[in-house]
Amino acid sequence: MRGTNTTRAIRRSAATVLAACSATAWQTSPAFAHASERGHVLLLPTGHYIAGAALAVAASFLVLAILPPERLVSFWRTRFPLGSIPNLRLPVSLLSFAAFAALILAGFIGSRDPLSNPLPLTIWTLLWVGLTLAQGLVGNLWARLNPWYGPYRLVRRALGSKADGDSPLRLPAWVGYWPAFILFLAFAWFELIDPAPDDPARLAIAAGTYWLFSFVAMLAFGFERWSRQGEFLSAFSAMIGRFGIVDGKRDGARLRLAVCWPGAKLNDVEPLPPSGALFLLSTLASVSFDGFAKTFVWLGLNGINPLELPGRSALIAINSVGLVAVFVALAAFGLFAVVAGQRLVRSTVPLSNAAGLLVWSIVPIALAYHFSHYLTALLVNGQYALVALSDPFALGWNLFGTAHMPVEAGIAMGSESAWLIWNLQAAAIVAGHVLAVLVAHLLAWRLHPSPASASLSQLPLTVLMIGYTVFGLWLLSTATAG
Amino acid sequence: MTKRFFDIGKTGLSRRTALKGIAAGAGLMAAPGFVRYSQAQSSAPIKIGFQAHRTGIGAAYGRWYEKTTNAAVKLINDAGGINGRPVEIIVEDDGTDPKRGAEVVAKFASQHKTDIVFGTLFSHVVVGSAPTAGELKIPYYVVSEGYHVASGKLNRWVFQPGITDVRSQVTSVAPWVAANLGKKVTMIYPDYAFGYDHRDYFAPAIKAQGGEVVAQIPIPPTESSFTKYLPQIPADTEVLYHVMVGPGVLTFVKELGEFYGSNKPQLFGFIDSLEAVDINSPGLEFLDGSHFWEGSPRYAQANDSEAQKAYRAAVGIDDNGASTTDAKDVSTAAHMFGCWETLYVIKKAMEDSGYKGPEDRAKLVEATEALTKFKEGPEHPQGDKKFNGKLHQVFGHQNISKVEGGKLNVVHRTSIEDGLYEPEADYTTQPL
Repeated sequence: MRGTNTTRAIRRSAATVLAACSATAWQTSPAFAHASERGHVLLLPTGHYIAGAALAVAASFLVLAILPPERLVSFWRTRFPLGSIPNLRLPVSLLSFAAFAALILAGFIGSRDPLSNPLPLTIWTLLWVGLTLAQGLVGNLWARLNPWYGPYRLVRRALGSKADGDSPLRLPAWVGYWPAFILFLAFAWFELIDPAPDDPARLAIAAGTYWLFSFVAMLAFGFERWSRQGEFLSAFSAMIGRFGIVDGKRDGARLRLAVCWPGAKLNDVEPLPPSGALFLLSTLASVSFDGFAKTFVWLGLNGINPLELPGRSALIAINSVGLVAVFVALAAFGLFAVVAGQRLVRSTVPLSNAAGLLVWSIVPIALAYHFSHYLTALLVNGQYALVALSDPFALGWNLFGTAHMPVEAGIAMGSESAWLIWNLQAAAIVAGHVLAVLVAHLLAWRLHPSPASASLSQLPLTVLMIGYTVFGLWLLSTATAG
Repeated sequence: MTKRFFDIGKTGLSRRTALKGIAAGAGLMAAPGFVRYSQAQSSAPIKIGFQAHRTGIGAAYGRWYEKTTNAAVKLINDAGGINGRPVEIIVEDDGTDPKRGAEVVAKFASQHKTDIVFGTLFSHVVVGSAPTAGELKIPYYVVSEGYHVASGKLNRWVFQPGITDVRSQVTSVAPWVAANLGKKVTMIYPDYAFGYDHRDYFAPAIKAQGGEVVAQIPIPPTESSFTKYLPQIPADTEVLYHVMVGPGVLTFVKELGEFYGSNKPQLFGFIDSLEAVDINSPGLEFLDGSHFWEGSPRYAQANDSEAQKAYRAAVGIDDNGASTTDAKDVSTAAHMFGCWETLYVIKKAMEDSGYKGPEDRAKLVEATEALTKFKEGPEHPQGDKKFNGKLHQVFGHQNISKVEGGKLNVVHRTSIEDGLYEPEADYTTQPL
């Protein structure tokens, strides 16, 4: 009876909510649009930073144009051996699976508060922000930490098969990265547009279902194959991990480690198929749109009052369109830059090869965007995560001694923090784009044997990167809601 | 450094233990030396659904609303709970989203089976959630400051007994502004509902004091630079009444300073513009000597009552209104006291009605409507108040503070009568 009343009440009130939100004739609204940390950034001379950043990226292009490529490549390939460690992939993954299962359980039975429940904090802050950055700095940690490999091996062993190659089904070649691309778009939509991605139970259902779906797909198509082309976190991590400075090679039961320059592992990449290129671009597009969606410009364009943001529910349609539009624009600009570069030097290299290879150069940009956009979330919600993980089920536990740790939100507050965070963000955006220009140059030398034509072919892409530098810093310095 | 997230007196309270609910209540009962919930026939907790802005545009305010709520609940539980039963707070995030707000209210009623719903701040969430509270007949105590409750446009299940509404606040400051700052007022405000409240209620209030609004300058909400609007301020303006909000506020103040230099009119604003922002931030220097409305003072005052001191210590704010464990974390002091006072109003109404469970919700509504005044003290540290049961709205004193030496010093406290207006509603005529 109560349930029926509830459903009816929600249905009836849905219309009322819409009417209420639009009927401002009588509605009074306390201000509460917080002056926020962006207010401090608005007072900084961000225009000078943006101009300087654009110049820095342009200068990096000129420097690379006059450097002899052979020396640069051989320097870039330098590796410093670190020794070897046991390859603990199976036990680490099993532990990771156990932790994941516990987190899903916490999503259902733990606190309903998304800042007290460890599931949303782990997925959105520690995993999507923290681990992605660690991947970019170190290397492909996710290949070991993922919660599928261990259970997959156990089930395969139980079924009596050992080799990964003898999976019951084969993924046709044309499938490429399309599964990862589609699944990532679904993930990005859930993260950025769904009304309640932080709701613990809702997230537990989404994450649990995704784990199960991926697990079944891995059993069907093989772990390595699905991890590379279907499971988007693994596919993304493998790409981002190529920027990391630790290189691991299997040596029997051990892992041989070496330190290399950032991005050096990108030197050996193969051109991505169109689906792979679009997948990589979509990861950058999602972070870019996350920033863009909060700007006064985007909200103003859509007739939304940023001082009285109506909440995610009212923005589903426009933000869905916006997310796709940013992705399409990024892909179109990128493709145009590659086509223009090829035309400039009258290259005979097939466009798909050139675009598929050069798209790897956005890896450092994607990392820089990830760092800059989620730095504050990592600093503050990272603390909430440490607190929540000590008492995952809200039972008064203190597993790691952090259950009563004070969360200092002030770390990201005030003019001094705003200045420091802005400078870190600006430095990351500039560094990301300069490194992207470097990576693009090194890859271009693989496409064009003459250093002069390799450099010339990069001119349009460099212009695009300068534009994206300006856009990235504008996103971080313009007025935003919330 | 071993700082606690909360610093509640000497006992200490982490937000997690405060939210523990049943476990905490049971623990208190078992622990020797603690107050026993002996009067109750049932020791099952009173469940309060806290509709919190944990994410979305209201998250900065939600954090302090949560801190204040937990501090008050701890004291209430330490003193024996409500009707001998411990109080359990169940938090659900509404994402500062009206549609989700309605869903959260329904979830409290049907899934968590809370006794009441409490704590909403943003007006659009209140307006979006109130119909569901009315449909499901669950008392809904908001801490929103909006005029929406007193306007009569909501329903009998919605109350605002812990914080005054914006109409009352705006009305009450007019006599002091006219008598002390000047009678020719230019209003500069954001061009949407919040700004219109100030425009519509302040203009007649200042007129009643023999003053006049010489110009009204609405600013489009998407503006982030204001220089082109400032020349519209008439030269004979004696008082500039400003209620800008959002990230552009600091730029607004800075540009105002550049526009006027040292020869400026009197400035009067609402601290809503700078709630949770350090008043000493770069760009705000021009505010020195200006005046602000404050619901409850951010800075500790020389004449603070013992109740006010105890309240500040319990919530964990220092003399500057920032967290005692994190000096950069400036609180939403002007508003968050409303959570504290609302919880004590709920307690009083539950005790008056002998509330036992959801079957007594209608009795609780009537008992709340029967309340008439609240005495200043530990339960109402902001000051004494009058409650209008027909309007479901409380009326109280307002503070006018001057920015001096990097602090806000209270220079005037309005009377409750200053903020009264002709009632427009009577919810008690609606059936329960």
